Amino acid sequence: MAGKRPALPLVLSASDLLDGDVVFHTGAGWDRSLSAALVATDEAGAQRLEAALAEVESGGPVAEPFLFTVTLDPSGAAVPNHYRERIRVCGPTVRHDFGPQAREELSHVSL
Amino acid sequence: MYRYDEFDERLVRERIAQFREMVRRRIDGSLTEEEFTLLRQMNGLYLQLHAYMLRVAIPYGTLSGRQMRQLALIADRYDRGYGHFTTRQNIQYNWPRLRDVPDMLELLADVEMQCIQTSGNCIRNVTADHFAGVAADEIEDPRPTAELIRQWSTLHPEFSFLPRKFKIAVTGSAVDRAAVAVHDIGLRIVADAKGRIGYRVTVGGGLGRTPMIGKPVREFLPREELLPYLEAILRVYNLEGRRDNKYKARVKILVHELGTEAFVARVEEEYARIDRGAVEVDAAEVARIAAYFAPPAFEALPARSEAFEKAARDPDFARFARTNLFPHKAPGYTALTVSLKPIGAPPGDATSDQMRVLADLAERFSADELRVTHVQNIVLPHVRLDDVPEVWAALVEAGLATANSGLVTDIISCPGMDYCKLATARSIPIAQEISRRFADPERERAIGPLGIKISGCINACGHHHVGAIGILGLDKAGVENYQITLGGEPGDLASLGERLGPGIDADEVPAAIERIVDVYLALRTDEAETFIDTVRRVGLDPFKPALQPQEPVRAAA
Ligand code: SF4
Repeated sequence: MAGKRPALPLVLSASDLLDGDVVFHTGAGWDRSLSAALVATDEAGAQRLEAALAEVESGGPVAEPFLFTVTLDPSGAAVPNHYRERIRVCGPTVRHDFGPQAREELSHVSL
Repeated sequence: MYRYDEFDERLVRERIAQFREMVRRRIDGSLTEEEFTLLRQMNGLYLQLHAYMLRVAIPYGTLSGRQMRQLALIADRYDRGYGHFTTRQNIQYNWPRLRDVPDMLELLADVEMQCIQTSGNCIRNVTADHFAGVAADEIEDPRPTAELIRQWSTLHPEFSFLPRKFKIAVTGSAVDRAAVAVHDIGLRIVADAKGRIGYRVTVGGGLGRTPMIGKPVREFLPREELLPYLEAILRVYNLEGRRDNKYKARVKILVHELGTEAFVARVEEEYARIDRGAVEVDAAEVARIAAYFAPPAFEALPARSEAFEKAARDPDFARFARTNLFPHKAPGYTALTVSLKPIGAPPGDATSDQMRVLADLAERFSADELRVTHVQNIVLPHVRLDDVPEVWAALVEAGLATANSGLVTDIISCPGMDYCKLATARSIPIAQEISRRFADPERERAIGPLGIKISGCINACGHHHVGAIGILGLDKAGVENYQITLGGEPGDLASLGERLGPGIDADEVPAAIERIVDVYLALRTDEAETFIDTVRRVGLDPFKPALQPQEPVRAAA
């Protein structure tokens, strides 16, 4: 794995191999919804995500896995810290009809 | 237009069959992602921020109605009903599914199109002047040259793994509309004192992290020597270009590090060694290719058209005619630019319905030809002046009649962070906001020609370095930040823009651009002095205060 691990809390994301959709690691598998993601808040959790990342790095149902930092909002939902990941979580900001935002399940994440 | 021969056809179909097998093996797990990435890139398939992206080559930007209709069909069947035309005269689909890509490639092959050489470290799709075969000042149509290079370079075994990608552009006109100076190799068709045709060759131009203007290496290269000479350049680059650092791997860095003189000496040395006979193509083959690009049979028409003049009494039509028509060498004809920059829309996008309208118009009114421009617009190259009113009416209906070609809202913008994995900031929303600010057509007309170009990262796909106003989106400590440059120009007087000052936040950009334009309007000698001319005359200093947000001036209470 290249580079340093980003700061906690962490989420593991990737692109679905078949359709390129943004997916998140749930602890047991992959899901299209950020709310289903396993959020690592401590060293043990981070190591678990790193192990999952290493496992799919060369193959498997997803492509290009990586970790990113989130903040937990008052309700406990994860919100990505960086705008790049917020855009990735929502879909193109110029086409609200496409991407996860079109499924209207992301009311807690906005730019 | 060039037609595939059996060899091309077989090659493309074989490639698709191979790719289908690779996709199958990736899905069943026998190929790793690392192995597969290289293979998919060789077939034009990228993995972007939200989905895969398929980049389709449109050699030298020329398309038939049938091909455009097929692009629309693919957009409907396998994508989301639209496509994005790029600064490389390509089209990109933003939402294909991996399993569908081989079928998309088959549909493309049915109309003699493919995705080879749209990605990876090879000689990429060759670009050319979008007014090829139209412009009165043209020495020769650049497309036969571009096609010759395409055939020579397609899957060239020696040049399939270059240190980095390699872009070639060709122009045949006195006025350069193909931005040849900012390509790895720029070719300008010229005639010598005896009227023989040849090329002025520049090497080492490019944008990106280290923008450079190409250096002349031959003032006159006789036509028949083109391919052997290109082979010598590519060989020197392939052997000596840096492979240790991808940011220093383009040929521009090699030319820069060696110095132009030493680089030319190496090329000439290599050229002297080359078995020219093995590479040169004979005149018959050149003529065979050129025949595909023979001009359509133009009718003998008067230079003036009554129907056109009558329609021009409508101010909307008149405005369109003033901005979006380009003089044609054949009397009574014009080349018509269809703007893909409606006010407030993402630059370069067209829906499948719009593509079909364009295909119909090309078949009915433009000798079945369309061109994709590097400004991300579409050209109907051969329209009779008599037919312009009817074409315009159809464009109005399809939402394609924006009268802004070459004006301030005709903005070039790369996809930026709304789609692109490499982006450091968004570019499309900036373009949309600027476009809305300058929506008033009268104001836009008063401002005159002005190219705004926006890139979402240092890779410069939006050509910001050569924008009269360039905008580069960066990530400044987790916030989108934009650097403004002024004074760039892609054509004959090619120059790179200079930075106006420190970067500014996204929401400040449109107002800053407006203030920059206001400074120009206040300083220009008269309407004939364009934005870029004023910048060249007065320099950057008078524009610098425009970057600062201005406090509203209030009268004392
Ligand atoms: S300039 Fe950067 S952000 Fe824009 S398309 Fe190119 S790589 Fe992507």
